[in-house]
Amino acid sequence: MNATAIRKQMSIHPDVMDLLNQQVAMEMKASASYLAMASWCDQRELLNSKAFFYKQAEEEREHAMKIFTFINDNGGAALSPEVTNVNNDFESLRNVYETGLEHEIAVSESIFNIFRSARKEGDLITEVFLQWFITEQSEEEDTFRSIIDVFDLMEGMPLKMIDERLPKE
Amino acid sequence: MSREVDATYPYQIKQATFCKYELVTPNKEIHLNFPQMLELRRKVNELTTFDSLNEIINSHNFALIYVADKEHLLYLDVPQLLKLQEELAVFFHSPAEVYV
Repeated sequence: MNATAIRKQMSIHPDVMDLLNQQVAMEMKASASYLAMASWCDQRELLNSKAFFYKQAEEEREHAMKIFTFINDNGGAALSPEVTNVNNDFESLRNVYETGLEHEIAVSESIFNIFRSARKEGDLITEVFLQWFITEQSEEEDTFRSIIDVFDLMEGMPLKMIDERLPKE
Repeated sequence: MSREVDATYPYQIKQATFCKYELVTPNKEIHLNFPQMLELRRKVNELTTFDSLNEIINSHNFALIYVADKEHLLYLDVPQLLKLQEELAVFFHSPAEVYV
């Protein structure tokens, strides 16, 4: 990495930059998906869940912006992504949270992939930058799993009662 | 804006100064700064994916690319497009002593 011709213009590896741009798109898609989930909960007066997903939507956008500015700050070209095919249709509150967990796992796997790529290319700046994201993803996955555990523990209880026992953020 | 037609020579990239580059085409030399180089790389990479190349071959058999903040327009057939992609890949991955 240190020896490339473009090193004076860019601190990160161009191939890693491409992956980071894909990650921005993924985080923005996750943000839009959480917004759809928040709306589904809001329409059904599931107050804690709606607060949780509004917050998640904001957080995912913050993650995207963190990566976006990181790319530009390091001499790369951040790309504003296209967000399409957002699902607004869910079968149950449990299904909403399970879909959320699937999103989080996909995001984690994608970050691991960039981390491995950065390590392979000797892009230490990106590698260190991504460490925060790896810790964050571990926490996010844990939050979703804990919520799904509540559904298992309270199986058969009224939905409103389950919602009242879920975290708002 | 100028339009590049017919190119038999491979495209070349040269470093002019610390942050200025030249894309040598069969007809002219186009001056580019680094963000414009990144944008060119993005466009060419997008056009040289398997699906994009298939689409080009099955339609008009050429691609038009705006270069240097839309100051120039390049007309490229598939072999030229692939040569430019190769040149850009070399530029972005080659050791410093080649260009500096």
